[in-house]
Amino acid sequence: MKERIRKREQDPWITSRIRILQGIALTLFFLLLGRLYWLQVVKYEEFRTLSENNRIRIRVVRAPRGVILDRRGRPIAETQPSFDLIVTPVDVKAIEGELQLLSEVLEFDAGEIREKIIRGQDANPYRSITIARDLQFEQVSVIEFNREALPGFSVQVEAKRSYPLGPEFAHVLGYVGEVSEQELAAGRGRRLSLGDIVGKYGLEKARDDVLRGENGGRQVEVDAAGRDKRLVTEVPPRTGATVQTTLDADIQKVAHDAMAKKAGAAIAMNPKTGDILAFVSAPAFNPNSFSQGIRKNEWAALVANPRTPLQNKGLQGTYAPGSTVKPFLALTALETGVQKPNAQVLCEGSFPLGNRTFRCWKEKGHGMVDMYKAIVQSCDVYFYTLGLKLDPDQVASLERGAGLGVLTGVDLPGEKSGLIPDTYWKQEVMKGRWHSYESVLLGIGQGAIHVTPLGMLASYGAIATGGQVMRPRLVSRMVHMDGTAEDLPPVVERNLSWDPANVAIIRRALAGVVNDYGTGGAARLPGIEVGGKTGTAQIVTVKGKMIKSEDLPYDIRDHAWFVGFAPVPDPEICVVVMVEHGGHGGSAAAPVVKAMMEEYFRLKQFDGKGGGG
Amino acid sequence: MSVRKRFAKVDWPVFLLVLGLCGVGLMNIFSGTRVLTSSGIPLYSKQIVWILLGVGVFLLLCFMGGGLIEEWAPHLFLAAVAILLVVLLTGKIRGGAQRWLSIGFFNVQPSEFAKIALVLALARYFSGRYTYEGIGFRDLLPALGITLVPFLLVALQPDLGTAGVFLIILAAMMMIACLRLRVFLLVGAAGAALVPCLWFVMKDYQKQRVLTFLDPGRDPLGAGYHVIQSKIAVGSGGIFGKGYLQGTQGSLRFLPEQHTDFAFAIFSEEWGFAGSVVLLLLFLALIYRMFYLASRSQDRFASFACGGIASYFLAHIVINIAMVCGLFPVVGIPLPFVSYGGSSMLTNMISLGILANLSRTRFTFQPGE
Repeated sequence: MKERIRKREQDPWITSRIRILQGIALTLFFLLLGRLYWLQVVKYEEFRTLSENNRIRIRVVRAPRGVILDRRGRPIAETQPSFDLIVTPVDVKAIEGELQLLSEVLEFDAGEIREKIIRGQDANPYRSITIARDLQFEQVSVIEFNREALPGFSVQVEAKRSYPLGPEFAHVLGYVGEVSEQELAAGRGRRLSLGDIVGKYGLEKARDDVLRGENGGRQVEVDAAGRDKRLVTEVPPRTGATVQTTLDADIQKVAHDAMAKKAGAAIAMNPKTGDILAFVSAPAFNPNSFSQGIRKNEWAALVANPRTPLQNKGLQGTYAPGSTVKPFLALTALETGVQKPNAQVLCEGSFPLGNRTFRCWKEKGHGMVDMYKAIVQSCDVYFYTLGLKLDPDQVASLERGAGLGVLTGVDLPGEKSGLIPDTYWKQEVMKGRWHSYESVLLGIGQGAIHVTPLGMLASYGAIATGGQVMRPRLVSRMVHMDGTAEDLPPVVERNLSWDPANVAIIRRALAGVVNDYGTGGAARLPGIEVGGKTGTAQIVTVKGKMIKSEDLPYDIRDHAWFVGFAPVPDPEICVVVMVEHGGHGGSAAAPVVKAMMEEYFRLKQFDGKGGGG
Repeated sequence: MSVRKRFAKVDWPVFLLVLGLCGVGLMNIFSGTRVLTSSGIPLYSKQIVWILLGVGVFLLLCFMGGGLIEEWAPHLFLAAVAILLVVLLTGKIRGGAQRWLSIGFFNVQPSEFAKIALVLALARYFSGRYTYEGIGFRDLLPALGITLVPFLLVALQPDLGTAGVFLIILAAMMMIACLRLRVFLLVGAAGAALVPCLWFVMKDYQKQRVLTFLDPGRDPLGAGYHVIQSKIAVGSGGIFGKGYLQGTQGSLRFLPEQHTDFAFAIFSEEWGFAGSVVLLLLFLALIYRMFYLASRSQDRFASFACGGIASYFLAHIVINIAMVCGLFPVVGIPLPFVSYGGSSMLTNMISLGILANLSRTRFTFQPGE
């Protein structure tokens, strides 16, 4: 080791500085001793009393969740009092015996509750835990009657989430439930504690941070049996924010009723603002069942249901769009100048390509068709030829711009994008070359393409506005816990540079679908011009002859679409309906759209200036 | 030098004080954890393992060749910074902060070890810059840099308690290293001015702790509850305490982390004011002995290093006890040798091993060695 040069005499400077530090140490120790003297000698009596009578218990008072309103201010999610069974772990004398006794009154999983109590004991045994919610009056009386045999347990009134309209808003509002361990672990800083109720799905989840209030608590002194004797301190809970949605309970009800017994989705939106007026996914479930902890058999039934009631088909279900994409092919043709609107195509009922034959839905053929007639009659042959003519990448790019196959950005969790195939996707994902038959199939919205009903709605919203794609939204205003109001303005997602003349041609044709003896006649409204498009998405191809969809078994029947807007000159409502295995769009989906629009315009009469809210 | 001579030069007062404190800690951990329903090896036997390991490390360091520590100081410091970086990037999330690093079957808290590395690095730096006129501002800047790197890494974890200890180490060592008074006051004033800025970088729960400290009634269910219960535990101990294993606050588990950060509350509940005085005197004797060794040295590196180690023990002891008595916000700083914890035990033993080594090899001028 290289010896460093160092001074080798004691340094008086250093010594004196260290003396100062020793002095500081001594002072600090005297301060601590003084404090200990104060606590242990002077205040001894006070603290001894506190410690001996350590009968202070903490009762958590859970904050009620904020109310959710529809656009007319009617509550669609609120809170109700509920009798909950709570336990203070430290007061439990004989856990097994007490659980045994309780199991005679309540229906619960003793193992789960035992674990909860033990966990609470480790965290803070003086803090109450909720172990059963929403007890019946009879149960409450039995428990109260047996107080002496159930030390540690008591009944407390707490706020419970309730949805006055039951399953109607199931998928859009979602449901709440007790916070899970994963959520607790991931949610530090989100003021979460064991036993809290959090949004699990839908808007309840998306806006959980504002809807959930701030828990309060009471420190109470209890007697030997654990009964509250005296309130020591109290911190009142703070109710969560009030959330004003764009939803309309009346239209929602009409949509829900019209979709009863069907599976699928029905969504209505104001294309100018992106305001979602109604959002139904069928079949639904009752979100109230979740608020007090769903029963096992009820949950099992929901999970086992082949029509997947727990899936929001509006934004998580993806389906082949069928003929509903035809207007976008037509628009691509117009925008790129590939085909003029008046160009005629002969439809003889089928279209040969190589050694394959693609059929038109109309076996006899449509004869000579131009663009207007092709959309109105939904002629397949016209769009086979057009699909073949167009560059698939240009079609894909226009469709994605409109909102198909991309996320709309709606404020609900779990949205899926679907897929618009193009040559890049074919090469990178499928490792293959783009075949011409794929272009042909693309013309009628079959093949690899699949989209969500919400994406479909957004894309027709773009046609309705002439190229302005709004982000669908559910919340227009929030009044926070501290009383401040926050308005959420509509968000323009994209502005597309479509030629207004071209959009007008498409809109005229869509009006023709409904009003000019087209496929969507079932959506016609008296006095209001409705425009829209039917779609029938094939599940399987039945070789040989044409079979009516209604004659097929349910699960291979076609999906039915109808998407449209009204009034055509200046659309203010845009509706999409998709019925799983519903058969033809014109017959299965269009009437639902009609009912929803009818309700919208009926309500508008009462609103005076329209719009509502 | 014969083995006998070597042993004769070990600073036995420090070693015996430490053994005494470890004994107190062990006894206290037994009392504090006897009601915990944890499965597996009881914590006090784990602590015995830590103590034995610690004593081993102490002796190893103590008998290591002289000069090595000073030579390694910069490398140790760089290694500590690197490990802190690793913790920050990949650290396991525990207790809301990324403070732990999993090594095999146990977790270590590198910020503990970083304290030693910082003390040694600063000692090495200051010993090279030392002049009788006092160190000026220009020579101080690198020292500030040396401190700020680990400080920021730990503050980002975020562990403001430990980060604060880094600053205390810096302040104490600036003082021992004879900084010019003017510079010392200037830096001190600038540091004090920066404190309010801390508020803006603190996480919500940290702000909560500070607010709760200022007004314990604010949050009687959360952090304030712990402080109130801890004060009840201490206060109800009275003059002679409730007796060993007779504490009720602890056994009823009113106290959070009663075997780690709040170990002193258990102790003073069971042993009362008398016991607390004895424990504080033991600590004070240890600190005094350490400062004494620092001042006796004729080697500047050894002086500064021992002074730095003594200061950070002082900081830990005072902050922890003040926190338990409700004089300081709740921060994760353990009481040396008394709180349960492997990282803390090893760090303390390493520090004292270094101190013993320096006192053995560097303190008295021996011509011809």
